[in-house]
Amino acid sequence: MKIITVLKFTVCLTIASFSLASDADISNGQVLPELACRYEMHIVPQDKSQTEIHKTWYFWRTANSVQTQDADGGHGEIWQRSTTGNIQYRKLYHNDKTAVEYMPADNASNNISFDWIKLSSMLSQQELDSLKYVKKSEIMGKRSELRTGKIDGQSLEVQWLVDEKLPASIIRKDGVRTVELRLLDIAPLLTTQYKPVSVADIGNYRQIDATDFGDMENDPFVKKLMAVEGQHTH
Amino acid sequence: MLFVKNLSVVAVTTLLIVSIAQADEPSPEDWFKAGRKTVVDAMHLHPNVRHAKNVILFVGDGMGVSTITASRIFDGQQKGGHGEENSLSFEKFPYLALSKTYSVNQQTPDSAPTMTAMVTGVKSNDGFLSVNHTILRSEPSAGVIDANKLATILEQAKQNGMSAGVVSTARITHATPAACYAHTANRDWEADSDRPAGATVPDIAAQLVDYNISGGIEVALGGGRARFLPNTVTDPEYGSAGKRKDGRDLTAEWVSKHSKANYVWNKAQFDAIDPNKTDHLLGLFEPSHVHYEADRVAHDKAGEPSLTEMTTKAIDILKKNSNGYFLMVEGGRIDHAHHAGNAFRALSDTQQLAAAVEAAVKKINLEDTLVIVTADHSHVFTIGGYPVRGNPILGLAQGVGEASPTLDLLGLPYTTLNYANGPGYTGASNQQVAGSKTFTTPVTPGWASGSEGHTPTSYSAAIGRPTLSKETVEHHDYLQESIVPMGAETHAAEDVAIFANGPQAHLFHGIVEQNVIYHVMAEALGFTKHHDHHDHHNRK
Ligand SMILES: [Zn+2]
Repeated sequence: MKIITVLKFTVCLTIASFSLASDADISNGQVLPELACRYEMHIVPQDKSQTEIHKTWYFWRTANSVQTQDADGGHGEIWQRSTTGNIQYRKLYHNDKTAVEYMPADNASNNISFDWIKLSSMLSQQELDSLKYVKKSEIMGKRSELRTGKIDGQSLEVQWLVDEKLPASIIRKDGVRTVELRLLDIAPLLTTQYKPVSVADIGNYRQIDATDFGDMENDPFVKKLMAVEGQHTH
Repeated sequence: MLFVKNLSVVAVTTLLIVSIAQADEPSPEDWFKAGRKTVVDAMHLHPNVRHAKNVILFVGDGMGVSTITASRIFDGQQKGGHGEENSLSFEKFPYLALSKTYSVNQQTPDSAPTMTAMVTGVKSNDGFLSVNHTILRSEPSAGVIDANKLATILEQAKQNGMSAGVVSTARITHATPAACYAHTANRDWEADSDRPAGATVPDIAAQLVDYNISGGIEVALGGGRARFLPNTVTDPEYGSAGKRKDGRDLTAEWVSKHSKANYVWNKAQFDAIDPNKTDHLLGLFEPSHVHYEADRVAHDKAGEPSLTEMTTKAIDILKKNSNGYFLMVEGGRIDHAHHAGNAFRALSDTQQLAAAVEAAVKKINLEDTLVIVTADHSHVFTIGGYPVRGNPILGLAQGVGEASPTLDLLGLPYTTLNYANGPGYTGASNQQVAGSKTFTTPVTPGWASGSEGHTPTSYSAAIGRPTLSKETVEHHDYLQESIVPMGAETHAAEDVAIFANGPQAHLFHGIVEQNVIYHVMAEALGFTKHHDHHDHHNRK
């Protein structure tokens, strides 16, 4: 299942961006258009004995939510920003209609502070600013800037979609691996054929606090999660 | 005798702490005198054979003996001593027994049947809350649950005109507090939305608020707000949706159905409660479990009372009843910190439980109030190596006379505290790279969640052991090494301790089945005759 190719929507996107601008939260000084994207990720380990990873996934963005989903539709994640400015993070297991929640009390104690700009744009403003502007270009008919530099010891090459405030590609290299992220499709959320699972439907999922896993030794879902994923490395 | 009835350690502790404060080690004579004084004190100990007016049951969830020992040292080192000589408040109680924690169907139990045993006098199955083991796990029928429910000490207290309260740092609908007031064959059915379609047994939160004996439960303080709010209402602190599908706002119902009732969800509201003007207090300070004590003040947005503050407020409300009260207080997150493989938070939450016990004992009269401190089960948490006296409990083991940490046979240092299993395994997990693990999964480079602790779902085999530094292992987020890789560290099956003081505390002696705790409380409260009738009625 693919998001409809982007060319058809260039005009729509422009309109949608403007129409959605009033809905989008601008508390961070950013107006982010609501979008549906499909990305491809390719991880190439320096150590050739390790396997390369290819993954395609969906990315949906609204003013106050970011949702992702694996190409097979089985797993995803959702971040929702509330009116109090807090961010609720859940992992989604669609086949089991289960959401695993990472609670604020534990997130706070984990010293995790979510940067909403980074979540919804994949790069923080600070990271973007620290990369050097190289040249303008056009990707998928959209204004783009090539930016390069180093962040946390990794060399980065980013094609930045200026109006969408999303990367068309990110190539990260360090001594261990190369991670390549590439945009395959992009469309306004309103018109995309591939919709995210609705927040209302996720609300009807079984909700588990991740902290409770240790006490759910006989729960079929938790058992399956540990057993199935545990086999991946063997 | 392996463990000592009539144990008095006050003398030893006082003597040894004074000596250390003076930077002098106790002399051989000091040790001898302290030992003798303990025996003399024991000779002067007279069992309190009165009936108890009140009972306070403290449960450290997952607070095994190794956790108590390590916490005692942790606490003592913070006070400036070597640590080993220190005693947590409840360790000074005169009576002690060991509790066999297995459940009807598990060698190593969970918190549901263990608390069921403690508050009903009957052992049951994993996941069961105050129902007998003869029914099916997740029995959906309210009728079947009703026919197989076990009367709890809290219910009997209410039936006898006493007041009752539950306090926890976990969700107030979590297994340990829930077993006091709810009956269900699935501990996870905390809100109506947690139950499968067609289940008629009420969810745990509803059972708490709908509790009807003698005007309802007086005090319920802890976490778990989301399960009391409908999904159409957002959380006052975080803005996330409630978890009830039935539209009930149980916080509002608590206030409307009880007399002189209040509901609070932050510390300012909690502090404003006048116990003399409030007869029923519901306090829910987080949507799920409240913060670890180590993080509470620094990280909580709206402010939360400590376990000590909740305990003392609860006592102030409950003690107004001249018929007495039953109060259960749980240090619920000792267990969670251990499951996460993080000793620091387990020890600091145990320290806070000890502080709550100390504050409670100051408020009550031990002549008329039985105080019990125990655990539901242990954890696979060990204190090992041959560290020198006073070695930092979270640190690398360093032996007597050694200038650097002791090395293992790979030539690598190791910590005193370790786990037999859990997320501290040092192979690469799907969340953290090979080597030492931390409570915080660092934000991964590149766009990825990085928004959780370390609850891995897969591991690669570790190659050797990591080279540990003092800075790494004494960091509060360090996860002690585990042998067996697991997403969550597990409970352990060895016995746990029961500490008791007050009326009939001397009935705790020897190694007992965990359900004996109920029977001592019932005897102390004078429920045993009354209970024989219920026994026949409820336990066919
Ligand atoms: Zn547990």
